[in-house]
Order: sequence, then structure tokens, then C-alpha cells
Amino acid sequence: MSRIELTNLRKEYGNVVAVNDLNLTIEDGEFIVLVGPSGCGKTTTLRMIAGFEDPTAGEIRLDGSIVNDLEPRDRDLGMVFQSHALFPHKNVADNIVFGLRMQKVGKEEQRRKMHEVAELVRISHLLAKMPGQCSGGESQRIALARTLVTEPSNFLLDEPLSSLDAKLRRELRAECDRLHEQLQKTFVYVTHDQEEAMTLADRIVVMDAGEIVQMGSPIDIYSNPVSYFVADFFGNPAMNLIEGEFVQNGSAEFRSDSFTVSLPEKYKDISPGKGTFGIRPENVQVSKANGGDTRNIGLVEPLGKDTLLYFETAAERPFVAIVEGTESHSSGEPVELSFPGDNMFLFDGTGDRIRA
Amino acid sequence: MSMTMTQKRNVFSVFRYFVLTIWLLIVAFPIFWMVSTSFKPDREWFSWPPVYITENATLQNYLTVWTDFNEYSTNEETKELGQYTQSLQRPWEALGNSTLIAGIATLLAVLFGSVLAYGVSRHQILSEKRMFQLLMLRMVPPIVLIAPISLWYRQIGLLDSIPGLVILYFLTSLPYAVWMSKSFIDEVPREMEHAAEILGASRWRTIWEVVLPLVRSGLVATFLFILILTWSEYLLALLLSKTDVLTLPIELSKYQGSTEGRVYGRQAALSVGITIPLVFVGLLIRKHLARGFSFGMVRR
Amino acid sequence: MTATTLNGQVDPPQNIKARKGREANKAQGIRRFKWTVLSPFLALMAFILVPALLLQVFFSFFQFSIFDAGDSDSFMAYFEASEFVGLDLFIDVFRDNRFGAAIIRSLLFATGATLGCFVFGFGLALLMYRPFRGQALYYIFFILPMLTVPIVIAYTGEMILYQNGPLNDILSRLSGLRVEAQFLYKKEVALTTIMALEIWNWTPFSFIIMMAGLAALPKEPQEAAKILGASKWRIFWEIQVPLLRPVIMLALILRFLEAMAEFPKTWSLLQGGPGSATETIPVYIFLTTWQYFDISYGAALSYVVLVLMMGIVMAGIYLLRREKKSLDEMYMAKPSEG
Repeated sequence: MSRIELTNLRKEYGNVVAVNDLNLTIEDGEFIVLVGPSGCGKTTTLRMIAGFEDPTAGEIRLDGSIVNDLEPRDRDLGMVFQSHALFPHKNVADNIVFGLRMQKVGKEEQRRKMHEVAELVRISHLLAKMPGQCSGGESQRIALARTLVTEPSNFLLDEPLSSLDAKLRRELRAECDRLHEQLQKTFVYVTHDQEEAMTLADRIVVMDAGEIVQMGSPIDIYSNPVSYFVADFFGNPAMNLIEGEFVQNGSAEFRSDSFTVSLPEKYKDISPGKGTFGIRPENVQVSKANGGDTRNIGLVEPLGKDTLLYFETAAERPFVAIVEGTESHSSGEPVELSFPGDNMFLFDGTGDRIRA
Repeated sequence: MSMTMTQKRNVFSVFRYFVLTIWLLIVAFPIFWMVSTSFKPDREWFSWPPVYITENATLQNYLTVWTDFNEYSTNEETKELGQYTQSLQRPWEALGNSTLIAGIATLLAVLFGSVLAYGVSRHQILSEKRMFQLLMLRMVPPIVLIAPISLWYRQIGLLDSIPGLVILYFLTSLPYAVWMSKSFIDEVPREMEHAAEILGASRWRTIWEVVLPLVRSGLVATFLFILILTWSEYLLALLLSKTDVLTLPIELSKYQGSTEGRVYGRQAALSVGITIPLVFVGLLIRKHLARGFSFGMVRR
Repeated sequence: MTATTLNGQVDPPQNIKARKGREANKAQGIRRFKWTVLSPFLALMAFILVPALLLQVFFSFFQFSIFDAGDSDSFMAYFEASEFVGLDLFIDVFRDNRFGAAIIRSLLFATGATLGCFVFGFGLALLMYRPFRGQALYYIFFILPMLTVPIVIAYTGEMILYQNGPLNDILSRLSGLRVEAQFLYKKEVALTTIMALEIWNWTPFSFIIMMAGLAALPKEPQEAAKILGASKWRIFWEIQVPLLRPVIMLALILRFLEAMAEFPKTWSLLQGGPGSATETIPVYIFLTTWQYFDISYGAALSYVVLVLMMGIVMAGIYLLRREKKSLDEMYMAKPSEG
């Protein structure tokens, strides 16, 4: 049983608050992903859990006991770094057994465990090589192996895939998932990539400006964002977010320079004022022009299975719709757009979600 | 009439080789002359026109300065100086002293300097301002303090002693030792140390197994770099030791002062001996020389 | 007594104490480390340099000459034989024309040598920093002068510059006349000759750091400028030179400071002569103290030079720090993730 609890955790650098009174409990065996833009405090949080940074205030508990005062090596943690941090002067095998040597494990045992873990992450053929001779993906596997072999109860992963190219990332992401399945240990994973967060996490913790903005399962975060920030951060292509205002004109309406949308019944009491209307591209319904409000398709971007349609709007960002497959649309073609009421997201002037 | 890219490039290339070769001659000639003179017999030292490459090459100069130096002192030309000159030339002792003094002082400076540099790099134990102030040890000319130092040394028994010179060489090379080793230590990523730490390594273990192996070649370069500086030092050695503890530059200067006439061949032979180790060491670390002088001003 | 609640939470005061404990321990550890490392250095300073400085001050206020001490070998005899003269010695120093001339000579020498080293070093570096056939070989040769012991340079220089030496021979052959230039023993040229030797000796220094500086310049801004239509000349002045400024300052400042202290070549070749043509500050102090044995006047001179040089060194250090700071700002890493 291993559980990480952060209570009122705070970190200040001079007068900059990097982490602002954070409260978070990470359950045993959970795969949790801290995600947010650069400077949101996610890495600082991870480094405080690891013990490389001292919190300015608050406490960190592992298994119920406070570890603020423990050195990193006494916290029963494993960590994988963004730069891999392999020891360049030791070969792969020596890199892997380093932690075991520190624990004074017997030579035989070291060898056995090293081969076992090398097997597990599929790097047995690399053991005699030097880190410099290995590719980025291989290095990351080695770094994983080096951490896995010491069998810590918790794994901290600091943007482990950010230095790799897209294809390798997908591959190693699957690998991380598989390892977590197999080991059933606690994983705390930091990334700025929403896609990584969506695919890996049991639970996502979205951070911004040192605070937790939203916590929940990937589906929850995706389908029920609490704010403009979260809605904008998750999803690719991103949610269409149109600035405008809500008006009460007999019925509730949203108006902007490019769109006028009448809001469904549940929003009938919406208070007038500035706000944002949001809809995910896959929820936009595109139909043949039929006497209604037509607009012309701008760019057409076929993705293979789906096709992206772009519409010019008064705003900087084009409006995007996804239509399925080979359905033939061409640039310049007039179409009508409609938005199902259940899939609309409305945000008030401060960016908070408006719920019915 | 305009030139094509290729033509321009060719013209530049010719110009470059021309200028570089002229400088090469300027650089190489004195060295060539030193080596060439060291093989000349006495009568060719001053002949006009000068002899560039002697046809009567002899090892006599080398033999004289390195083995028959006592005989040299009783040559016709110096006989009147008698006993006094007998004990003047002591090349092997000077070589031993130079090696010992430069070696020990440099070793101490690098050991001490690199530990200090580690502290500065990782824990900022000295501010940037202090780091620059450290340079004063090197930049204030030693001549302004050497008289009181020699009086004080005489009082505490360090005058004309090996430790006396070692201490001053240590102090004056320290700025280079700290700055240069810091430039190597700064290049070891902190994540590397963190990785070792979280895998259970203690502080010393991390330094011993991770940091040190990664900066080892840098520290060797630092050592050799400072060795070059201490090996050639003249002023302190001249004023603080010269009688009992003699170093090679001083040994060489004695050929200049001991006789009325110059003994070019002998000087050249000794010069070659003094220079060879330095050139060897310098070429060995030529890739790192820039670091020794750059004080963090060159970013890679 | 701190209360522990049922669910295992501990009262805040105790936590804060514990947390402070680790931070304080760390800070204390670093402090201990700092002073352990620094103590041998500080001890040496205290036992060697500080007494020397105090003696310096003493002798510049107390007139003393080695002859006054007689045969006595005792340290105290120096003090007993000294006589308080107040600021007299310093007044003498400021009235000393020979000293004034030495300062001017040193400044001339250092400025000329510094600029010479820099112009040659930078020029060669500009020709060489892009790879070409033979680059490594030229590089090896070009650093040789720096690896040669200064006193060896002095004596080798003498052999070459000697009236019947190879330089005059080469000049004779080239011009068809019998050239018998006296490079060393003519008042008008002696200082220039020493300067030339200094330049020969230390051009590699400027060359090496300018090479390193040029090689480390980021390529993109230069390529961007090229595409925007800038000529080589403009790229040089508007992109390369400003980016190289810290390295240039370094090359100038360090070289100037070291040239101000140049002694081995000047002394071993000419001992300040002919006349006083090469009597630079270090040579004058040396003569006063070690040839005329006027310890006190030498001390006063040294003291004035020490203050003067400290001023110059501090100005140099100030400039270097400023460059370093602007460099740090330019290369400042983006604030760390998260």
C-alpha cells in the first residue's frame, strides 16, 4: 500500500509563487498525470515529492508518514528524467545495476534482476553498449529499466517522452501503459502534452499558475471541462471557442461577429453579458446549404479517416469542423452548420463554465 | 567584371594560405633558430653571414649543459671566476626542483580549486563577485609584494625553500584552477546527480561515481594548463630562491649572466630542454586551452 | 504537548519545525563545507600575504636600508634600524620623474602589446575559424609561442636580433644592402622590440579565445542576416562583433593586465636599458629594491603601484563582470518547466 498525500503544499521562489497551497491525494496503484502549460508548477510539485526541492510550506506524506525531512534516496521512489540522465561513462548494464549496488544487493541477485528488467523493457540486446551508442527511444527504455530494477513503490516521471519524436512517443506511451498494468505501482507523470495525459492517466490533474484547476478521469476532463482554460487545453483539434456575448432577446442567444446561436432551453435564464461559446469540432454538424445561414468552406484537410473543414471567422482562430471519412466536401462549397444543444459549452466573462 | 562565387572563394583561399603561411614563418622561425643553434659548434654562433643549418652538427652544447657543466665552468673564458662558477650550473637539480615545485603547487591548486569550484557550481558558496575578485591573486603584479614577502619568508624560514615557492605558485594559480575546473563541472547536468541520488547514492558516492569520472579529463587538462604557467615562472623564483633552490628558468638565466661573452649554443641547448615538456603538454591539451582563459565568456 | 488527531494528522507547529530542520541542516552543511574548503586558503592569506602587506606599509613609512642593519641577521634589527619618516617617501615617489616615466613607459608598452596581440590574434582567428585543409596544423603552430617559457623567448630573441644575427641577414638579402640594425641596444627602438617579443609571445592567447568565441557564435542570426541581404562586412560589424564583445573585452583586459606586469623578457634582455629606455614599472621597482637595496623607497613605490594596479584591476574586473552579466541575460535559460 502506498499513497502520496500533499497537504497545503507551497513553493515560493523569491516572491514568485510556483505552487500555491496544493492539496492532492494519489491512491496506491493509480496512474496520475499532472498536466499544464510551462510554468504551471507541475514539475516543481514533482520535484518536491522527489525531495529535490524543499517546500516553502505544507507537507508531503508517503504511506501516511511525513517525508518532508527525508532525503530523496530514503523516500522509496523511482524517477525518470526528461533528459534520461543516464551515466555516460557506464555501460547500459552498469547503469541498470547502479541502484541495486547502492542497496548492497548481492552480485548474483543484481545480475538476475538486471536481466529480468531488461527483458521486461526489451533492451537485452543493449546491455553491453554505452549510453552514447543508443538512440533516444532506447535511452528512455534504459532509464525506465534503471528505475524499475530497484522496485520502488512510486514512480515519478518528469516529461519522459518530450525529447522523442512523435512516433516513438506513441510507442513508448503504450509501453508506459503496459508497465503500469503489469506492475500495479503508483505512477506520477508530468507532461505538457494533453494527448499523453488523455491516453495514459487514470486521473488527470490539470494545473495552471501553481494551482489545480480540475481533477478527474480523462473522459470527465474532456467532456466536462470546468473552465475555458481546460476546454481549450484538451482536445486536438482544439475546441472551437468563440468570444461574444449572451443576450436575452425573448429567448437566450449567443451572438458574435460571425455566429448567432440560439441557446437551448436549459440556458433560458442565462445572464446577459460577455462570454464564450464553445463546441468541439466533432460535434459540429455540417449539412448541405438549405436556405438557412450558409457559409463557405475555407480549407479542407483530409486526415484519412476524417476530414477537417476550416471556416474563416472574424476571430483569429478559424472555426473547425470534423466530418467523417470520405464524405466529399470541397473548398468554397456553401454549407450550413448546426450545434447540438447537449454539446455546447458556455463560459462567462471570467472563463468559468456556465452550467444550466 | 564580377567574379563568380567559386572564383571569390578561390581568391579568399589563396589569400588565407598566404597570410597564414607568413605568420607560420614568423612563429616558427625563432623556434627553428633555437633548435638549429643548439646543434652549432662554438665558431658558428656569431659568424657572418649567420649559419642557418649547420653542416657541423654537434651534440656538444647538450652534453655541456646537461652533463659536463662543471667542465664548462672551468673553460678558458670563465677561469678567472674560479671556484665561484664551479657550483653555478646545476641543471639536474634545477630540473628536479622545477618538476617538484610546479608539480606540487599545480596539484594542490587543482585539488583545492576543483572542490571549491564544485561548491560554487552546485551551492553558490562564492558569489560571482567573489569569483571575479579571486582573479586579483593573479592580476596584481607580484613585483609589488615580493620585497616584503622575501623579508617575511626569511624570518619564517621559507626563503630559498621549496615550500616557499609552492605556496606562492599555489596562490597565483588558484584563480585559473577554480575557473577552469568550474567550467567542466558546470557541464555535468544536475539531473545526472539527482538520478544517482534517487537511486540511493549518498552525496560522496555521487561525487565519486558520477561527477568525478565525468570531469576527470577536464581536471587533467586544468592540471596541465596550470603546469605550463608555473613551469615558466621567473620573477618569484629569481627573487625568492635562486641560491639553494634553483628552477630551470633561473638555471638558464645564469648562462646569460655568468660570462662576458654570450654562449648562444649552450643557452639554446638548455632552452630546448626547458621548452620540450611544455610544448608536449600544451599540444596534449590544445582543445582545452581556450577554457583556461575564457572565464565563462565563451558559451558553447 | 502537541496533539495527534485520530486520522494521524499532526499539529502544524511541529511540522513547520521539522521542515525548517531539514532546510536549516542543509544550509548549515553547505556553510560548513564552504568554510572547510576556504580555510586553508584563508590561512595562507593570513600567514603569508597579510604580514607581507603590513611589512610593506611599515617600510614605506620608516626609512630603512639594508646597509643600516649592519651584519645583524635578526629580523628585529630591521625595525631597530628604521627611522620614521612619515609621508616623506610618498612625497618623493610623487616627485620622482623617473617613476613617472616608468609609468608612461609601462602604459605605452601594455597598450601597444595588447592591441598588437589582439589585432593579430583576431585577424588570424577570422581567417581560420571555418574549417579548411591544414587548419589543425596551423593551429598547432600558432599556439607554440604561448607554450614557450618567456625567458627562453628573451634569449632566443637576442640571438635573432643580434647585430650579426639572422634577422639583419634576412633584411640584407631582401634589400640588397648591408643592414646592421640594432634592435636591442638603441634607445629609440628597444621598447618597441620588447613589445614585439611580447606580441609574439602572447598573440596565441588572443588567437585561441577569439577562435573559441567565433566558433561558439550561433549560426542562425548570421544566416538570417545573409538572407536579409546583409554584406559580409555588415554581418561582421552588426552581428559578429556585438556577440563577441565579452570575449573581445576579455582578450583586451587580461592581456593588458598581464602586460603591465611583464618582467622576465624586459629584465633578462635589457635590465631597463639602454639608458632607461625599457625601464617599466616592474623593472624600476626591481632596480630600486634589489640593485640599490633601497627597501623603503621600493616599498613606497610598490605601495603606490599596488594601489594603482588594484584600481586598474578592479576596473577590469568590473568590466568583465558587466560583460558576463549581459551574457548571462542573453543566454538565460527559460524558466524551468512547471
